[in-house]
Amino acid sequence: MNQSNIRNFSIIAHIDHGKSTLADRLLQLTGTISEREMQEQVLDSMELERERGVTIKASAVRMEYTAHDGQTYEMNLIDTPGHVDFSYEVSRALQACEGAILVVDSTQGIEAQTLANLYVALEQDLEILAVVNKIDLPAARPDDIAQEIEDLLGLDAADVIQVSAKTGIHVEQVLEAVVQHIPPPKGDLDAPPRALIFDSHYDPYKGVIAYVRVAEGVFKPNTTLRLMASGAVLEPIELGIFSPNMKPVQSLAAGEVGYIATGLKTVRECRVGDTVTIAQSGAVEPLPGYKHAKPMVFAGFYPSDNDDYDDLRDALEKLQLNDAALVYEPETSQALNFGFRVGFLGLFHMDIVQERLEREYDLDILATAPSVEYQVVLRSGEVIEITSPADLPDPSTIDEIREPWMSIEIFAPEEFIGPIMELVTKKRGEYLSMEYLDQTRVLLKYKIPLAEMIIDFYDRLKSTTRGYASLDYHFDEYRTENLVRLDVLVNKLPVDALAMIVHEDEAFHKGQRLVSRLKRTIPRQLFEVPIQAAVGKHVISRANVKALRKDVLAKCYGGDITRKKKLLEKQKKGKKRLKMIGNVEVPQEAFMAVLRLDDDD
Amino acid sequence: MPQRPYAPGSVTSGVHLPESPLALYYHIPFCQIRCTYCAFNTYTRLESLIPGYAEALIRETRLVAGSARRPAVTIYFGGGTPSLIPPRLIAPLLDACAEVFDLAPDVEITLEANPGTTDRAYLQELRAIGVNRLSVGMQSAHARELHLFARGHGVDEVRETVTLARAAGFENISLDLIYGVPQQTLDMWQTSLETALDIGPDHLSMYSLGLEDGTPMQRWVERGHLPAPDSDLAADMYEWADERLARAGFEQYEISNWARPGLACRHNLHYWRSLPYLGLGAGAHGYAGGKRTVTVLHPAHYIERIQQQPAPLPYPASAATDTIEPIDARQAMVETMMMGLRLVQEGVALSTFRAWFGRDLWEVYGAELDRLIAFGLVELPTADQVRLTPRGRLLGNHVFAEFIQE
Ligand SMILES: Nc1nc2c(ncn2[C@@H]2O[C@H](COP(=O)(O)OP(=O)(O)OP(=O)(O)O)[C@@H](O)[C@H]2O)c(=O)[nH]1
Ligand code: SF4
Ligand SMILES: [Mg+2]
Repeated sequence: MNQSNIRNFSIIAHIDHGKSTLADRLLQLTGTISEREMQEQVLDSMELERERGVTIKASAVRMEYTAHDGQTYEMNLIDTPGHVDFSYEVSRALQACEGAILVVDSTQGIEAQTLANLYVALEQDLEILAVVNKIDLPAARPDDIAQEIEDLLGLDAADVIQVSAKTGIHVEQVLEAVVQHIPPPKGDLDAPPRALIFDSHYDPYKGVIAYVRVAEGVFKPNTTLRLMASGAVLEPIELGIFSPNMKPVQSLAAGEVGYIATGLKTVRECRVGDTVTIAQSGAVEPLPGYKHAKPMVFAGFYPSDNDDYDDLRDALEKLQLNDAALVYEPETSQALNFGFRVGFLGLFHMDIVQERLEREYDLDILATAPSVEYQVVLRSGEVIEITSPADLPDPSTIDEIREPWMSIEIFAPEEFIGPIMELVTKKRGEYLSMEYLDQTRVLLKYKIPLAEMIIDFYDRLKSTTRGYASLDYHFDEYRTENLVRLDVLVNKLPVDALAMIVHEDEAFHKGQRLVSRLKRTIPRQLFEVPIQAAVGKHVISRANVKALRKDVLAKCYGGDITRKKKLLEKQKKGKKRLKMIGNVEVPQEAFMAVLRLDDDD
Repeated sequence: MPQRPYAPGSVTSGVHLPESPLALYYHIPFCQIRCTYCAFNTYTRLESLIPGYAEALIRETRLVAGSARRPAVTIYFGGGTPSLIPPRLIAPLLDACAEVFDLAPDVEITLEANPGTTDRAYLQELRAIGVNRLSVGMQSAHARELHLFARGHGVDEVRETVTLARAAGFENISLDLIYGVPQQTLDMWQTSLETALDIGPDHLSMYSLGLEDGTPMQRWVERGHLPAPDSDLAADMYEWADERLARAGFEQYEISNWARPGLACRHNLHYWRSLPYLGLGAGAHGYAGGKRTVTVLHPAHYIERIQQQPAPLPYPASAATDTIEPIDARQAMVETMMMGLRLVQEGVALSTFRAWFGRDLWEVYGAELDRLIAFGLVELPTADQVRLTPRGRLLGNHVFAEFIQE
């Protein structure tokens, strides 16, 4: 395809504004997908995406479109996720494009990730096409929202295309606008080929599949390739495009998006952000890669069954190919044995990773409560970073502890200003500013400790505002705070996986809540089990799980034995999932108790 | 410790089954109303099936027994509500038993009776045809609890049934009671048990209420209409009752059963000693010839199946047998422990275990027993005996689970 007839673009938006549905219509209009194969949000192909109705992974797909000018265009579309935790996916997708379609829900207006994703696109000098969606809905206010786009984003309201991705109305205008306004890719076709790996996944037959955007030159099958950062040399199994399923092609040329099936079985050799070139007289300079996503939230992942440790390591390695934001390193815990400290972009990301490991790799995982990364300044002057409360050194050696603070932006209708203020203050947040977006909606800015944010902040914000608020956040700074480690002792043994770092003023309150939570979570044992929360040597709270006295089934005659045996077998299976702390059986939920400290009960 | 020196019998995969006489269980799956805690295989408004059902029981008895004339020591009519069957329909069944089994001269014949279903004539006839043990479902002395259970009788009917049964010549009468009921206080329980003692039984079964799936009681608790039974309070009730019954001259012989000396239920002992029994009637379970049998659940299906002319089936199956499963040595060992340990006095004899399985109990369950002994749940009163400690009696599930394989 002639380079001037190629268009590479992403669809970006706030969560649920209709990106994937718009992609459906584009795929349909261009005949990329037959009516028979069509289903709602067809690009959300992962089981988890379909179940939750949300896009987790960006997906690239090639379409062919014959425009009103009579010419045929190759359109490489990337549908992106809208959730704030996956903004790293968006930024990588945008680097493979010359333009972006910004979708705004015409019943909602501009939300936090509308702005956040737009800024990423602008930073990369992309051409932006604004689209307001869902105009079929009675509550739609397309003209108002188009005006809002002009006022807040500086795009001309007259250029905003008003569509319904559901009914398909005006969607063809979007394709025409892409052809007319998004520039074709540039890139010397005669230069030695170079392509940037922007995503990947593992295929048991074809090895690592690298998703690439070709910057220069032309890749052909049967050419030995080299990865410039890892140095790996490989004979590709095939080159191809997504349409949307993998489809082999005979060449991938500058400006095109596609995949290279590398055949590599060792996943370490092929990383997102690496540059692919040919092995013989290839390119000299690698393409600029990606800024590493900085994990915000850390948790211990342990196999429920200790024997699955190797499988978990293998699974994390493979999953990382498909989730470039995922980081992990081995960790050991007295309570939970061998596992990994895993870093995530947010709690939703953590949730998704755990589910993917369990479903795609058939593992059963115990996750500890999430923590943030603290900087600890030692008396010696040395600064260490810890992501697990258990790693906090002896307080007598500590000069100060710093914790990460975030700046956050909340978009909400003005009637919720009061409740939002209250919520943020409760979480140790500081008010910065408020501005009106229009007559009824405000943009509130705060600073807040990340540690407070990762514990149910988002859920509470959603429930106090009945779902009308949206949130964006960025790392702000590390601040020195009065922080202490709250230890938990079960039957007098400290449990490393239950320790948490808290503000000194809240240690007492949190200790009490934690103990009473655990008391309800830990089943009664054959002996009384004291549960204590302590700061240093000082016990701040204590409760006892009373010894179990009676569990026997009253009746067991001839007919009952089989049923009773089955019941006990089932109970015993359930017990296998309990973790032994000393001689106390602790259920997995106990390790997440910290997350529910603020529940009213 | 009573010795049970059974000669080794047939060998199935490492099990030497005891050559023991049989116990015969007859299931009577009819009730006038269904109690709110009940998950038994029983049916209301099917009483019209009773005559055909009684006939089918006779037929099944002959089919299973064949011509071997095996010895049998007990007959038990359980339910359901066996007292819904008129004695004139039970008599021919007992005659058939005497014909096809070698019945012991002191055969124990029990029938479960619901208060209010039996009058003087009924009980006299019943005694006359040879039934010599009556198990009466009393459950509670409180009208409110009986109402909650939908029992359809009061405490007066219990007293009357026992009085009439005594007059009819019954010398072995058992009462059933339920404790650990939602909203029941220790005081209420004490009144129920005192009332039961005043009525004067020879045997008492006390069951803590279990919430069975699909019962109204379970739903009420799940939906919060009733508080869940308090297991600590139930433990207090149990301990109080055990002590009270000892003072009244009863001996505890099983986790939920007490009897005057010598009047333990011989039929039920058969189960706990893992001795062979035949299960006859709809939904009955049997264990004989190394095989466990389960009969079709519905009485109409049961009658239908029995009426068909089947090819002779291998013992102990009948035309109405739904499943038949051989019990291998490993399963038999687990069951021997689970059932045997319920016998709180005699427990499991090491010598019997060795005779049956050809292996030492310690070799098979050494680690499990060590743990249980360390926790004070199991004890060894003699060199040939393991049994539950008083604490272990209440933590039976914990103990039995040790013997279950994963
Ligand atoms: N009525 C109406 N509903 C729409 C329209 N477009 C999308 N929706 C609905 O809005 C919801 C979200 O649509 P998606 O396409 O999954 O939104 P998304 O932006 O891809 O969401 P994420 O990928 O999770 O950020 C779905 O229930 C769609 O059916 C539209 O034009 N009209
Ligand atoms: S009488 Fe017995 S079998 Fe019948 S419903 Fe009541 S508890 Fe169940
Ligand atoms: Mg989507």
